[in-house]
Amino acid sequence: MKYTTFSREQNDALKEPMFFGNPVNVSRYDQQKYPIFEQLIEKQLSFFWRPEEVDVSKDRIDYQALPAHEQHIFISNLKYQTLLDSIQGRSPNVALLPLVSIPELETWIETWAFSETIHSRSYTHIIRNIVKDPSTIFDDIVLNEEILKRAEDISRYYDDLIDATRQYQEYGEGQHSLANGETIDISLRSLKRKLYMCLMSVNVLEAIRFYVSFACSFAFAERELMEGNAKIIRLIARDEALHLTSTQHMLNIMASGEDDPEMAEIAIECHAEATELFRFAAEQEKQWARYLFKDGSMIGLNETILCQYVEYITNVRMQAVGLPKAFETSENPIPWINTWLSSDSVQVAPQEVEVSSYLVGQIDNSVDVDDLSEFTL
Amino acid sequence: MTDKTDGKRPWVFIQGQQAFQFDPQQHDSLLEAMEAHKVAVHYECRSGYCGACRTTTLDGEVEYQHQPIAFIRKGEILPCCCTPTRDITLVRD
Ligand code: FES
Ligand SMILES: [Fe+2]
Ligand SMILES: [Fe+2]
Repeated sequence: MKYTTFSREQNDALKEPMFFGNPVNVSRYDQQKYPIFEQLIEKQLSFFWRPEEVDVSKDRIDYQALPAHEQHIFISNLKYQTLLDSIQGRSPNVALLPLVSIPELETWIETWAFSETIHSRSYTHIIRNIVKDPSTIFDDIVLNEEILKRAEDISRYYDDLIDATRQYQEYGEGQHSLANGETIDISLRSLKRKLYMCLMSVNVLEAIRFYVSFACSFAFAERELMEGNAKIIRLIARDEALHLTSTQHMLNIMASGEDDPEMAEIAIECHAEATELFRFAAEQEKQWARYLFKDGSMIGLNETILCQYVEYITNVRMQAVGLPKAFETSENPIPWINTWLSSDSVQVAPQEVEVSSYLVGQIDNSVDVDDLSEFTL
Repeated sequence: MTDKTDGKRPWVFIQGQQAFQFDPQQHDSLLEAMEAHKVAVHYECRSGYCGACRTTTLDGEVEYQHQPIAFIRKGEILPCCCTPTRDITLVRD
């Protein structure tokens, strides 16, 4: 399977697997093997937003009045999110497009990655507004130990897949001795395994890694602080939920074996490794919470609550891809976050919205988990 | 066949217990009704695309106002965007 930008193969795209079949030739959407990816594209397009539409000017005053330890929380989260979206804005394209074989999935990947570039641009919008010299923040992303630790664990799966794909396309399957004396063993199966684990790792990234930061942003806004930022984060969270759904679909289609029977075997083989990937990421995020609150908590959130939330959300996400829960926690310790994550009240013209006033009304109406003692699901 | 909800309010059972009757006049979705009857249920988007409300059913039948895009397996439903069309039994995962 050598990559070409327009395969002359007169293939039937409805019979191609999602990945590792013929490269896509005609971008057509009148027929789809998996209509879900076309639906995701439509949904993502309907979510389109531009950072500049959100007025963040009041945030500057709020930010200056924050105590130093809360400024640390705010800025550190922005840095971490900038890292995550830097990776997500390019990696799905670079790693997945050379392998994809059906047009609706190819276009979903491109649409997905494009929306990540909007997220990245929104961080510049936010940062430019609150500090005079954005470089003081951006430059630290490649220096900050806490962020670098995470960068390594997130980019590794993508880099592995990209490298293995390159070797596979250059040499093909089998044993090869390279000019430098090294021998490499290339198999399609091991490449498929790398793809599966890469998708699992992306799923983890979008399932848990953003949520500590989301929670802090919304906790500020609950106090009517940094509301422009919260408005943007809310739009980002809405996109991320969609991205997460897309990798859940890919992983579950793979595990079912309906698309490529070998992928079902690989899903079983990778079960323990995938479980560990989730658990490890959750631990890393809990450490991140510790780092955020090292000089003090913020009103409405502390390390314990945030760690419980990470565990809760990890369990929910694991079950969605057929993995057993990693933690005991079954209750959401910050149910108010759901109001911010629900799309009912996300407005497309955000500048028209008095964020705090209409949100406060919403939060009063929201259901408190503690009240719900009669039945539990 | 006639619409099963005609003049009917399907029962919702939870873990084998009769919990409440779904009234389509009062609630647009099963999730809304569950909240009104103080049944704890996870949710995020409330629009069928995040999957947070995914719930397993033992029997029953639901109908979706719009085709949801979150992933669900056979026997699972998304209460945020469906309504029961006949008696339904929900279980904990
Ligand atoms: S709450 Fe998102 S799918 Fe139901
Ligand atoms: Fe993103
Ligand atoms: Fe994303």
